[in-house]
Amino acid sequence: MLNKVLTALLGLTSGLLVATVFFADIGKQDDGASTLQSVAEKVYVPQGQKDEYYLLSSGGHSGQLFVYGVPSMRKIRTVPVFSVDAATGYGFDKHSKEMLGGYTWGDFHHPAVSETAGDYDGEFLFANDVANNRIAAVDLTYFHTADILKLPNMGGPHAGVFVTQNTEYIALPTRFARPVSDEYAALDRYDEAYKGIVSMVQFDREERKFNLAYQIVLPPWSYDLSDAGKKVSGDWIVMTTYNTEFATSNQEINASQKDRDYLVLINWRKLADQVATGDVPEVDGVKMVDPRDVEGSIFAVPTPKSPHGVDVTPDGTRFIAAGKLAPLMTVFSFQKAFNAIEQGKFAGEEFGIPVIAYEDVLEREVDPPGALGPLHTQFDDRGNAFNTMFISSEVVKWNIDTGQVLDRKPVFYSPGHATSSEGDTVAPDGKYLIAGNKIAKDSFLSVGPSHPESADLFDISGDTMQHLVSVPVDPEPHYSQMIKADKIKTEVVYAKDENRPNSVWASKDARVERKGNEVHVYGIAMRSKYIFDAEAERPDALTVKQGDRVVFHLTNIDLDQDITHGFGIMDYDLNMEVQPGQTNTLEFVADKSGVFPIYCTNFCSALHQEMSGYLLVEPQ
Amino acid sequence: MKRATPKRDLPPISMFSLLLAAALLIGSLFLPWWSMKFYAPQYPEGLNIIVYPTGLAGEIEIVNGLNHYIGMAPFSEASFPEFRVIPYLVIGLALLLVVAAFVRSRKLLGGVLVLFLVGGVVGLLDMARWLRQFGTNLDPTAPIDLEPFVPPILGKNTIANFTTYSMFSWGALLLLAVIGLMAFALWNKQARTGQPRPRPAVAHPAPVKDGQAR
Repeated sequence: MLNKVLTALLGLTSGLLVATVFFADIGKQDDGASTLQSVAEKVYVPQGQKDEYYLLSSGGHSGQLFVYGVPSMRKIRTVPVFSVDAATGYGFDKHSKEMLGGYTWGDFHHPAVSETAGDYDGEFLFANDVANNRIAAVDLTYFHTADILKLPNMGGPHAGVFVTQNTEYIALPTRFARPVSDEYAALDRYDEAYKGIVSMVQFDREERKFNLAYQIVLPPWSYDLSDAGKKVSGDWIVMTTYNTEFATSNQEINASQKDRDYLVLINWRKLADQVATGDVPEVDGVKMVDPRDVEGSIFAVPTPKSPHGVDVTPDGTRFIAAGKLAPLMTVFSFQKAFNAIEQGKFAGEEFGIPVIAYEDVLEREVDPPGALGPLHTQFDDRGNAFNTMFISSEVVKWNIDTGQVLDRKPVFYSPGHATSSEGDTVAPDGKYLIAGNKIAKDSFLSVGPSHPESADLFDISGDTMQHLVSVPVDPEPHYSQMIKADKIKTEVVYAKDENRPNSVWASKDARVERKGNEVHVYGIAMRSKYIFDAEAERPDALTVKQGDRVVFHLTNIDLDQDITHGFGIMDYDLNMEVQPGQTNTLEFVADKSGVFPIYCTNFCSALHQEMSGYLLVEPQ
Repeated sequence: MKRATPKRDLPPISMFSLLLAAALLIGSLFLPWWSMKFYAPQYPEGLNIIVYPTGLAGEIEIVNGLNHYIGMAPFSEASFPEFRVIPYLVIGLALLLVVAAFVRSRKLLGGVLVLFLVGGVVGLLDMARWLRQFGTNLDPTAPIDLEPFVPPILGKNTIANFTTYSMFSWGALLLLAVIGLMAFALWNKQARTGQPRPRPAVAHPAPVKDGQAR
């Protein structure tokens, strides 16, 4: 009996198998659903597992750094850089307030991860503030802004930040030409009184401090984007220009008249050597070098109309300009440029800068039919380039050596930058590409007229690009860095450092010191209390006189992951956070008399609501 | 003149066994003897209290910080005077083992073993006393009111959102091995008979007759 059933089952199974192999099209029947499923699986990262890459994305005029995980595109964190941030108390506590230097916002466009031998080393991320001429360093061990430097003489370092291959220098060319030294000069004197400045900044990783090494003075063109060379071109920086027309009004029209603008090639090593000789004038304490005085340090190459991005290929042999108003990508050869320079073969001079003929540097033009508004170029590990097309709203994949267009995929909508996995290093990974889009329109649930921006994630590991997901993002995505997760080594708790100034590590050591009208609190925060003065009847109440300068030094002695304490003072418009093991300082003048509750603003524990105290200000 | 020496009645193998025991005992000073691991939904990775004969390790400050919610007294190395004594006791016992190894006296070794066992029992009772002390003397003003409890020396326990596992660790295993080596030194066959162990006789299997196999 059993045997009979088994035989029958076996027969049925084999029949089904044969039918399936020869007649069915299981794959096709179900194509849509299974493709969607496989796409979903590519972006799904289950609870407890981590993403493969960090996406460190500029937050544009939010002045902040947005951190995402790729491929899930989950937003992990907002790191304040140039703007005041109530959520973290950034710009309230003493250190960040001093770093911000009185500014409340910034316009962060182009992040750059520190590099060693042309590859991301994952230690620091540098950021430019186009609005207020600053550069910032974010320490990727803590994801905290470590230093901000104000750059004089600049008109918005839009074309930064780009690091040389060993982070010797961080280059920041200006967007607007301006008179130097904050001088006044009428727009009629634009040609002679306005300058285009490039800041060359160094960063000391041990001291976590910037140093403005020198500035390069250039013609008053607008510098749009730049990139540092790699390997054979490692000593060079390339920059795109627009407004070589010198328009001082209605730039939309007046800066778009010429068919060619310039690419500028600068040999930073020659300039650094010149600066080292000391034979360079100083302007307001900054060494300012005119590259026309240093032979062989500057050249210009005409390039199609109002180019936007310029990007050096991973092998460092070529640089690719994206045309913006010219619908094509132009591949230039460093070797050809070097040859022309060696032979002294120039087409002329502009502002005393030798101009190399377009044809003498050109390798090829790539002009996909109908592709309009190329802005930026990214790379994979197989010799391909990817360009965002703002106007035709797509990403174009093409081969650098042949110029052959291999794939085109729409994005939603109007991409600015693209970022591929480690795509601007000497060793791109070729796995993912993100398009940072300026317009989202109908992609997501409506929130009224204020639409989010968006980002499209592509899998670029295959012959053609596969669109995986489109996500809303906060304004405003410009450039990003996509770095392999294991290259970033974080600390999740500040190490207990008993020698740290103003730190207190035991409740019993909390104390208040009064000197004249200054009140210094050396206190602790722990689950779930503040102790300002261990000896006081009420250790969490501080009484001061109206007009006193109050300095709270607070150490979070909960050395436990993710137990951050907040410190908000009611009606004083003050709030800061103290992360586990951190000592943070809040300084203010108690100019209002009355009773002001203090409470923990960052949910810390079951008794978080009870974590409070009082600031009592006696009237004068 | 004749010196009074104890009877040398332990074989050389006992000497080696005792020297090894002494080495293991010293080694145990560098290893944890006991530990307690705490798990909670928010601590899937677990928090540890690790007890060495010389001090504490693990996330003591975090555990103390959490314990204050139930009014448990904070503990630290300073709160246990034992840490200042145990290392000397261990070194002393190890020296006694070395002496016993060279003297090779059953009587002396028996004394050391008794001392060792008494020390172990006292140590366990002391631990139990501390656990009872910490678990039952809870501050009545603590925000979370909890029935007094006694964490076990060995095994699982549940307190609020925490599940704890108490266990002996590598050092304690070494202590057990030390006892084993002492017992071996004392009661191996040569030690019992005072004779070197005879070489084992080679057993000759009985010839199997054809047809007898199944």
